[in-house]
Amino acid sequence: MTRTMKGMVKALALGLAAACGVAVVSGATAEELSLKGKRIGVSAIGTDHYWDLMAFRGIQDRVKELGGEVIALDAGRKDQQQIAQLQTLIAQKPDAIIEQLGNLEVLNPWLQKIRDAGIPLFTVDTATPHAINNTTSNNYNIGAEIALQMVADMGGKGNVLVFNGFYSVPVCKIRYDQLKYVLTSFPDVKIVEPELRDVIPNTVQSAYSNVTDMLTKSPEKGSIGAVWACWDVPQIGATQAVEAAGRNEVKTYGIDGSPEVIKMVMDPKSSAGAVAAQQPYEIGKTSVDNTARYLAGQKVAPFTFVPAVLINKVNAAEKGKPFLDAAEKGGVK
Amino acid sequence: MSATILHAEAGASDEARATGKSAGRRFATLVVRLGAIAAFAAIMAYFVVFAPGFTSTFNLINVVEQSAILGVLAYGMTSVIIGGGSDVTEGGIDLSIAANMGLCAAVYATLLSMGYGDFLSVLAAITVGMAVGALNALAVVGLGILPLLATLAVLNVAAGMELTLTQNTVVGASSPLLAFLVSGSFLGISALAWALIVFSATIIAIIHGTAFGLRLYAVGGHPEAARAAGLSVPFYVSFTYVLSGFCAAVASILTVSRLSASTPGSGELLLSVLAAALLGTVFSRRFVPTMGGTLLSVLFIGLLANGFQLLNVSSYWVNGVQGALILLVVAITSFARGSESSR
Repeated sequence: MTRTMKGMVKALALGLAAACGVAVVSGATAEELSLKGKRIGVSAIGTDHYWDLMAFRGIQDRVKELGGEVIALDAGRKDQQQIAQLQTLIAQKPDAIIEQLGNLEVLNPWLQKIRDAGIPLFTVDTATPHAINNTTSNNYNIGAEIALQMVADMGGKGNVLVFNGFYSVPVCKIRYDQLKYVLTSFPDVKIVEPELRDVIPNTVQSAYSNVTDMLTKSPEKGSIGAVWACWDVPQIGATQAVEAAGRNEVKTYGIDGSPEVIKMVMDPKSSAGAVAAQQPYEIGKTSVDNTARYLAGQKVAPFTFVPAVLINKVNAAEKGKPFLDAAEKGGVK
Repeated sequence: MSATILHAEAGASDEARATGKSAGRRFATLVVRLGAIAAFAAIMAYFVVFAPGFTSTFNLINVVEQSAILGVLAYGMTSVIIGGGSDVTEGGIDLSIAANMGLCAAVYATLLSMGYGDFLSVLAAITVGMAVGALNALAVVGLGILPLLATLAVLNVAAGMELTLTQNTVVGASSPLLAFLVSGSFLGISALAWALIVFSATIIAIIHGTAFGLRLYAVGGHPEAARAAGLSVPFYVSFTYVLSGFCAAVASILTVSRLSASTPGSGELLLSVLAAALLGTVFSRRFVPTMGGTLLSVLFIGLLANGFQLLNVSSYWVNGVQGALILLVVAITSFARGSESSR
């Protein structure tokens, strides 16, 4: 089979999998990948969130599986530290660097330096022109799907509270833009202005108090239909706030698929309406596979999508379980 | 001049008494202090032998660059500790310094992004930094609030103002000055590294080479004696807080150059700044904070993170080792103080 055909078949398979909503373990292709004798630098802005931790682990586990050596760097959410780590990493001259999330504005000049030093750069969930490949979920799809689910649950009308504190993070921008695009077709669904701001740290507590305040401001039942966030940690606080206020008509929507949120969606009494669950561990692994392919002289596409699954109230019992199992396997509950 | 004599006499009588009454304890303190320095040296020696590329000029310049921001902030903190006395609970301390840097960076980046030039933006950042320092001085000297509490309150003021200004977002910035700081170099040493070298030389000269610096030590060490000798204690203490604010402003410009933006979370640096200022005392014979000692400990902290990364030891260890060292130094310092006060 030629490479293009193989690629086409794989793309078709992935597309099909995404369409069916099946959590497919990708990267399990027949080809023999190896990173023997290679040193791979891995830099993550932080691992305090489930998604980040699983992707970071996926990268490290896969590099070791393929016989490579990992230089793993967690910047603990400190930009200064991440820059210092990248600077030292460039001096270490690894065979490739995989960078995972962070502030693009801060990172871009340094990612440029990585390329200037002749080190191949791969990214996880970070779209930048300096990377050879960015492995991520299809955030265009995710953004549209979760927005459509929300509109459907709202019956096509009502007010939405939106958390928009991280528009500078590329994936959040895409998801938010998709939400806005979907809403252009449903003029009766309105975003409450001013939008809310999600923060790191204290994301859950802050979201809880923000949503509580807004519900107090609009006390009539039905005046707020939904809460949306571009990730699912604010969704936890929002869901708790809605339940504490006894406003069960309000449903919450988010993206990522942290185990506690999946459990909320699976609970029929919970106000968590839906979550788009990604496969961060697979994303991390796939990024390493791309790196190995590139180092073996193969051509690699500028981006790779790992399928995500929309978990809603209807399919939660069936679709949620594989994700919880994967989390448990990774030691996170 | 009177301060010089006063200081020298105080030191001489200290030593005379110490040799008389607790020579043994003093000797033990010396041993512990040298032990701590030996531990530092041993760690460095280990890196030199086992960490690949550790001693390369390129790597060492990288570390100096990485230490520039922390270094400038630590000088501010050290000056406050010198002028206010090094008692951990009642002495001088500036908890607002990192948050102040965040605020200055936000002001600087915001003005640049609004199209104001480097001159105005730098001036504004420095004015804001020194104004926050003056607020600290007002609270500590004017209102007599404990520095620990006063600067904690100002920390919140500065952090709040930064959030108000940036809405907790990243503010990108570019300017000729920033471009120079990022890519300029002279004699093979980058502009950022030069910034630390020049700033260090200046502040060491001022604090350790002038009568003014000696008086500052007198004010921090023996405020009553300094007052009796005719020194204006409030002036000197106020000066250190304003200097600390100035350092925060300078550090903010270096930060924006390194991150190409002002970003939230500058407050995180506070612990490292405190660590550097406290660790620095171990390099002085009488456990007093010195600028040279601070510089050494800043570089040590930088080399520690660097060496661990080169050895491929998990970055999680760096925090632990840093914490353990602070504990060790604070323990030694209290031990040494104990021997002084028990006399």
